Amino acid sequence: MRGRHLRLSFGVLKAALAAALAATKDAQPISVGGGRFSTSAARSAPPPVSAPHPSFSSFRFSRSGVSLCKRLPVLLLVCALAMSGFGCKTPGSSEEPPSDNKGPFKIGAVLSLTGTYAPLGESAKKAIDLEVGRINAQGGVNGREIQVLIEDDGTDEAKSLAAASRLIDREEVLAIIGASGTGQSMSMRSELNRAGVAQISLAGGTVITDDFDSLVFQTPWSNTLVVPYILDAMVARNVSKVALLSDSGGYGKDGRAVILQEAPKLGLEIVSDQTFNPGDTDMSTQLTKVRSSDADAILLWNAGKEAAIIVRNATDLGLNLPMFGGSGQARLEFIEGAGEAGNGFVFATGRSLVPDNWEKGSAQHEAVSKFAEEYKAKYGEPPDIFAGHAFDAMAIVVAALERTEGMPTPAELRDAIEQTSGIPGFGGTFTFSANDHNGLGKKDVALYVVRDGKWETAE
Amino acid sequence: MADMGGKPRLPWVSWLIAAAVACIPLVITDRFLIKVLTFVGLNVLVAIGLALLFGYTGQVSMGHAAFVGIGAYTCAFLTVRIGTPWIVGFAAAGVIAAAGGLLLALPSLRLKGHYLAMATLGFGEIMSLIFVEAESVTGGVDGFARIPPPSVAGFEFKEPATLYWLVWAVAGVALLLAYNITRFRPGRAMLSLHGGEIGAVASGVDVVGTKIKAFVISAALAGLSGALYSGVVGFVSPSVFVLSSSVMYLAMAVIGGAGSLAGPVAATALFTLLEYLNALIPSMPAPIAENLGLYQTDIYGIAIILVVIFAPRGLTGLWQRRRSASSAKGGSLAERRQGSSTQADTPARPEGLEEGEGT
Repeated sequence: MRGRHLRLSFGVLKAALAAALAATKDAQPISVGGGRFSTSAARSAPPPVSAPHPSFSSFRFSRSGVSLCKRLPVLLLVCALAMSGFGCKTPGSSEEPPSDNKGPFKIGAVLSLTGTYAPLGESAKKAIDLEVGRINAQGGVNGREIQVLIEDDGTDEAKSLAAASRLIDREEVLAIIGASGTGQSMSMRSELNRAGVAQISLAGGTVITDDFDSLVFQTPWSNTLVVPYILDAMVARNVSKVALLSDSGGYGKDGRAVILQEAPKLGLEIVSDQTFNPGDTDMSTQLTKVRSSDADAILLWNAGKEAAIIVRNATDLGLNLPMFGGSGQARLEFIEGAGEAGNGFVFATGRSLVPDNWEKGSAQHEAVSKFAEEYKAKYGEPPDIFAGHAFDAMAIVVAALERTEGMPTPAELRDAIEQTSGIPGFGGTFTFSANDHNGLGKKDVALYVVRDGKWETAE
Repeated sequence: MADMGGKPRLPWVSWLIAAAVACIPLVITDRFLIKVLTFVGLNVLVAIGLALLFGYTGQVSMGHAAFVGIGAYTCAFLTVRIGTPWIVGFAAAGVIAAAGGLLLALPSLRLKGHYLAMATLGFGEIMSLIFVEAESVTGGVDGFARIPPPSVAGFEFKEPATLYWLVWAVAGVALLLAYNITRFRPGRAMLSLHGGEIGAVASGVDVVGTKIKAFVISAALAGLSGALYSGVVGFVSPSVFVLSSSVMYLAMAVIGGAGSLAGPVAATALFTLLEYLNALIPSMPAPIAENLGLYQTDIYGIAIILVVIFAPRGLTGLWQRRRSASSAKGGSLAERRQGSSTQADTPARPEGLEEGEGT
C-alpha cells in the first residue's frame, strides 16, 4: 500500500515533467517566430564558424531572456502539478473510513530531531520508541495497539505548526506529544484549538502552562516550581542577600523573571543581578561585580556549559560564597567541568534524578528505576531528563487512554488527560486539574549537593 | 515576443501559472499541504525582494530575516496590543521594514562586497538581539503568542485556503510590480549597477537613488512577508529571524540566479518544498526523511557551491544554456560557445540599444 503511493507519486511527477518538457518544446517556435527582427532567421540557420559579431551575441542573450520568462513559469506549473499529484495520492484525505473498531490508538509527537534542540528531541524519541515497543509487546492499551507518529520540527516554529497540522488532519491523531522547545510548543496552539486536540508539551518554558490553555499540558518541572524550592533552601541556609547570575537564553531569562518575582516574597534581596550570553567563556567581570556587592550567596540560572566556567572563575577570584543552582546544573558535564571547584554546589531539580530518593517499593521508585534500566539496556546510556519528560508524557497518555472506552474522540481524551491523578513518572507524581496542567508539586523536587564529582541528595 | 517590444506584456504562460496557483486550494483539500504551500508563498515574497536587491542591483544582504522579523512584530504588536485593524498593521509592517531598509541602504552607499555583507550581517544580528531584549514589544524569548488571523473588513482569513489566497495574492501583486520595475528604466538602472558602478555612473544612472530604492523595496516586501507570517502561524518568536534564515534567503537568490525574477522564485519554491518533502510524499521512509532534515543545511551549502562553480548565473543561467543548446539542435560547438559567452554578458544595456544593433 505504502509502496504504491510512492510509485504513484513519482509517476505523477514523471508525467508532469514530461508534459513540461513537451510544453517548453512547443513554446519554442512561438518565441522564435515571435521575434520582431530578422535575426530569428540567422538563428535557425547554421551558425557562422567565424567569431560571432558582438551585437549578435548580445541580441541572443536578450532573446534567451525573453523565453526564460515563459519557461520558468512552466517549471513552476510543473511543481504545482506534481504537488497536486502528491496531494491527491495522500492517504486519509477523505475516502478512508474513520478508525475501525480494532484500529490502533494514534498519537502524534512533534520533536526537534534536527536543529538546535536535536539532542532533546533524540532523547525523547528514544524514550517514546522504547515505551511504544514495551506497551505493544504487553498487548497494547485496552486491547488495541498504540501507535506514535513522530514528526521532526527542525527546531522551527513554522515547521512545528505544519507538523501539528499534518498529524491532526492527515493522521487524525487523538493527542500530540511535544514539541521539544517552548517556541515550537506555543506555535502549534492555533491548530490545536481549531481541532480540539490536546497537547502534552515536553518543553520547560513557564509560559506554556502560565498562558493557560485548556488543551495544553506540560511534563517538565517549570521554573515556577523549582525556583521557590531553591530559594527556600537558601533561606534555610541563612542567606539574605543574593547575587544572581543568569544567561540571556530562554531558560535563563525565564528563570530570572521568576526569581526576581519570588525572592522578595521570601525576604531575599537580590543585591547584584548579572547576566551573560550562552557561549561566553569568561565570567570574571560579572563575578568581580558580585564581589564588590555584599552578597552572601550566588544563585546561578542557566542551561548551558557556562556554569562550570563560572564556578571555576569564582574559585580563581577567591570568591568563596556558597553557590546555588537549578535543573540546568543537573548534568554530569557540569560536575566534570567544575571539578574541585564544584564541591558544595547546591541545586534543586526533580526528585527522580536519584531514583532512590523515592521510597523503595513505591510506585515512583518502580516506574523510574524500571524505565532507567530498560533505557540503559536498549541504548547503552542512562536516560537524561528529556527522555524522562517524554516517558512521562507517554505514561500520562496511556493512563488516560486506559480510562476511556472504545475509540475516544480527541475531546474525550483531553478530558481523560485532565483527570490524570497520581500517575508516577520521571518528573514526579502527576496530578492535573482544571487549572493546573503542569501537575507537579514541591514534593516532586529535591535538593542535591555536589560532592567529589557526584551529586547526592541534600536537605 | 511581446516583451521584445517597447510595451512589456506578461507572457500568457504567466497568467496560466497564476491561474494554476490560484486554483490549487480548489483541487487540494488537504489543509496541511495548503499550509506548506502558503509557507512557500511567504518565502517567495521575500525572494522577490532579494531578486531585485541581489539579482538585479548586485547588493548583498545577509540580514534580510531581520526585515521579516520587523514586519512580523510590527503587525502583531499593532493588531494585538494597540488594536488597530489588521490591514493597518500589515501596511505599517511594510512601511517600518522599508524604513529599516533605508537605514541599511546608507552603509551600502559606501561599502561594497564583503564589507557590505558584514554591515548587513551586523544589522541582522543587532535586530535579532533587539527582538529578544525589547520584551515589552516582542515578548522576548517567550515570543508573541495568540496573534489572530488576518482580517479585512470583517472577513477573517481563518481557513488555510483563504490564507493561501491572501499570501499568494500579495506575492502575485509583488511579482507583478517587480516585473514592471525590471522591465523599465529602474530595472535597467539596477542591472547596470550589477554590471559595475563606474559604468553605471558613466551611463548617467543615479547610483545612490537606485541602491536606496532596491533596499527599500526589498525590505518592504520582506516586512509584508513577516506580517503575513505572524497571521498564518499565530505565534512569533525571535528564533525565526536569525542569521541562518537570512543565509537561506540569500541562498535562494544566489541559486535562482541574477538578473531574473523567475529564477529566485522557482528556487525558493523548490527549496521550501524540500524542507517538507517527507510530509509531501507520505510514504517516504522515515530514515530518508530524517537524513534530509539532518543534512538540509549541507544540501543548501552544496547547492550554492555547485551553482557558483558550474552555473554562476544560477537556475536562470542553466535554463538559458539549456535553451540555447536545444535551439541549436545539436548544432556546432561555435553555436554553443556563443550561448555560453552570452551568459557571461550582463544584459546591462537598454533593450532599445540592442534592438538597433540587432537590425
